Amino acid sequence: MIVLATILLPFVAGAALYALPAGDRRISKAAGALAAVATFVMLLLGRDAQWSFHWLSRPFESAFDFGATPVSFWIALLLALCTACAILATNVPRARSMISLLLFLEGAMLGLFLARDLLAFALFWDLMLLPVFFALLGWGEHASTAWRYLIYNFAGGLTLLFAVAAFGAIYGSTDVIGRAGMPLVGSWAPWIFAGFAFAFLVKTPVWPLHTWMPSTYGDLPPPMVAVVGAVQSKAGVYGFIAIALAFMPDYMRQFSGLLIALGAVSMIYGAVIALIQHDAKRIVAYSSLSHLGLIVVAIASANPAALQGALVYIVAHGLFTAALFLILGYVEEREETRSLARLGGIGKANPRLAGALCIAGLAALGLPGLAGFVGELIIVIGVYQAGYAWAVIVALIAIVLASAYVLRLFQGIMNGPEVDDLPVRRDLTWIEGLAVAPLLAALVLVGVQPHAILAALGGVAP
Amino acid sequence: MIAIPFQAADWNAILPIVVLAVTSLAVLLGDLAAPKHVNRYVAIAIGCAGAIAAGVLAARQYGYDYGAFFGGFMTGGFTTVFEEIVLAALVGSLILYGALGPAERVGGTTALMLWSTCGAMLMAGAANLMTIFLGLELLSLGLYCLCGMVDRKQARESALKYLILSSTASAFLLFGMALLFGASGSVMLADLTNAAVAVNPLFWMGTGMFLIGLAFKLSLVPFHTWAPDVYEGAPLPVTAYMSVATKAATLAVFARFIYAALPSGVAEKLLLPIWIVAGLSMIAGNVGMLAQHDLKRLLAYSGIAQAGYILTAMAGASSQGLRYAIFYLAAYAFMNLGAFAVAAAISGDGEEGSRLVTYHGLARRRPWLAAAMTVFLLALAGLPPTAGFLGKILILSTAANTGFVWMGVALIVGTAISLYAYAKIVRAMYEPADDRRTHDATPIAPLAWASAAFCALAVVALTFYPLTPSNVLPLVR
Repeated sequence: MIVLATILLPFVAGAALYALPAGDRRISKAAGALAAVATFVMLLLGRDAQWSFHWLSRPFESAFDFGATPVSFWIALLLALCTACAILATNVPRARSMISLLLFLEGAMLGLFLARDLLAFALFWDLMLLPVFFALLGWGEHASTAWRYLIYNFAGGLTLLFAVAAFGAIYGSTDVIGRAGMPLVGSWAPWIFAGFAFAFLVKTPVWPLHTWMPSTYGDLPPPMVAVVGAVQSKAGVYGFIAIALAFMPDYMRQFSGLLIALGAVSMIYGAVIALIQHDAKRIVAYSSLSHLGLIVVAIASANPAALQGALVYIVAHGLFTAALFLILGYVEEREETRSLARLGGIGKANPRLAGALCIAGLAALGLPGLAGFVGELIIVIGVYQAGYAWAVIVALIAIVLASAYVLRLFQGIMNGPEVDDLPVRRDLTWIEGLAVAPLLAALVLVGVQPHAILAALGGVAP
Repeated sequence: MIAIPFQAADWNAILPIVVLAVTSLAVLLGDLAAPKHVNRYVAIAIGCAGAIAAGVLAARQYGYDYGAFFGGFMTGGFTTVFEEIVLAALVGSLILYGALGPAERVGGTTALMLWSTCGAMLMAGAANLMTIFLGLELLSLGLYCLCGMVDRKQARESALKYLILSSTASAFLLFGMALLFGASGSVMLADLTNAAVAVNPLFWMGTGMFLIGLAFKLSLVPFHTWAPDVYEGAPLPVTAYMSVATKAATLAVFARFIYAALPSGVAEKLLLPIWIVAGLSMIAGNVGMLAQHDLKRLLAYSGIAQAGYILTAMAGASSQGLRYAIFYLAAYAFMNLGAFAVAAAISGDGEEGSRLVTYHGLARRRPWLAAAMTVFLLALAGLPPTAGFLGKILILSTAANTGFVWMGVALIVGTAISLYAYAKIVRAMYEPADDRRTHDATPIAPLAWASAAFCALAVVALTFYPLTPSNVLPLVR
């Protein structure tokens, strides 16, 4: 029951927010953050819990079956943490609606990650589009972004839907995630794999299916983009681990060259574009493309060590991406721009803001001692063991480029001469600090103690 | 005295239809007797009571397979389910008259709608060519009048267009039936399964014309052009009724024909054109939606595509597929009736609710209605957590099982196109409205409001409790 309660709590809390007064955003923030923290605690408590409710017996067995797997447990924790932080950092007009959407998004994604049934997975996969779509409509700058996001991802969702339907028709049951099962066989199996893979690659995203991503990340308000960039992007790679690797390992092997190539191109392409962008948010967006390319390479190599590294890096990337987006949100609130061409020298008046950006940035470029490094290192070793030396070289180039664009981002905003016509605002308030502190602390914690996460894939890796 | 060869069981089989027919007489009488200011509600109340009584009577026949009138009218699970869907459409449309239209005509329109429903229910159980035609004409004659029963130029145009084009379709159908009779020497659908019939060229021509007639009534591409014009011109409750009831009744005939009335071996060749037409409908219907500014036209195009989805489930004639087709049809009935109920609820004296501009900023003015409309639109697009999502996955799974994967692909492509049209309305509703119009001038229409709420709940609940009827076969005797 606790699993069901964990998934339903954000939905209920999101709806209940509308019963609170709209005027005072502090009340909404407190209530929303409380709900998100509560889901975090319930996830910890319900680590081994299961909940199942029969759904279909024909044309295939299916159930609303929920429960954390060792992998999804960590992603779900990441989600709850990011949501709590994002809600605390919410500082947008109509804050109550935004917080409510964040909670709906959390609920939908918890359902996705905790689902043990493919049909439930597909249901939440489509459901999680809606809060983001509404956020883009309500707070975005261009309506076209919302359409691009929705239609691109819905197309992915539809191929997933068809793949799940065909999977169920062949396999007889969709209640399979996290269970030992026979690999899928049959003449349609490659097409089913293709349907899954397309959906996952769009969602991740991977070059050349990424075109919806920079504009979406650029247009979303800071709290929402922190959650979307940190966690929603993990739905695709989680799908590869939990579904494609578990039930279609032959096809993963067969297409590993293609997937690794796509990941490698994403790494370099994302890093190079991040180097020349001026919009701070888009820099992080493209860096995300680059980092997720590395995760895709790790998964496609199917090496046990690389997979372990991928899971650590999934968590690490989530943490520093959420932190970066929230901090850039603070910068934009203060200076009313996020263009590197305009910004400069605000670190002097805002030392705490600069410090936070520094930690998050260092984690993003893979400084030893922070979470990003651990993941990158283990992935690189694993991919090398798997025999893809060229992919390792590409990954190292991308990591070097990461240093360049992160430092460019930091210096462009914080260092240099102060710009006269930019307003000087007060440094981080305690509540703004509180919103990013857990993320930064977790970065350090995972950086020095990654064992718990590494152990998650100890028995699962093929 | 001539002995009547029918037994009590035969009359029992059509008892729901008889009850409905008698109810419409009661509606007319009640309309005369009732005081002027309440006669709108008297007609609706009597009509709904009759429909519910008929629904209960029909439900009692659910597990009772019987071929009444020498097999001309089959009772049992299949018939019952379609009768219930048609009756739900009747109730869902009738109560929209509580909000719309001139009150003095409600009595007459209610009676006509009930009679027309008798025809649709007859089609649901019709197992010989004569009952099929009888039901179809009874349904259509009522609708011709209903389409024109409002003082608007478009309504008259709609009625006339419907009359002429639908009669053309009936002519095709009738001629096809004549040829089928020539081939088999019998009006019974069951006799068409005889293998000797299949070699007769008359059978092929007859089936072709029969199916063209049905495709016309189902408004499949390329016989679809009448639907948007007729839907647009007709009064809103009639459009709501037409969009569900005619579709359900025609699909019942269609399912009976392809499942039970074809000689083994020829079905694949014979029906391939229908599947191609269904595939085209899924694409063209959804593309047609993109440019619409009128809800009724939009839902007309949507209905063209949705008919294609339902036919995808029937392709391959698997009994699973028939169950899922019925599930999707039931879900579709709730989505459509709900969407029209919202449109009625935000309409004043005219039909503002059918123009899409009315939906701008609706979430501010009427948050609950906007939420309900969102549910219906998401369901039509096949997004969770709605029955449209589950229905699509069941249909896709059937397509994968029966080997009609290309139809599944057409469904996917069509759905992807359709999302823009549906989400456009959602977007309009949730756009921050300009402050001048934060209050809606139209009065609350409680019946339409309740109908929308009920349909929204049903659309969501069907996702989690997917009721699919288990005994839908046999279809003929």
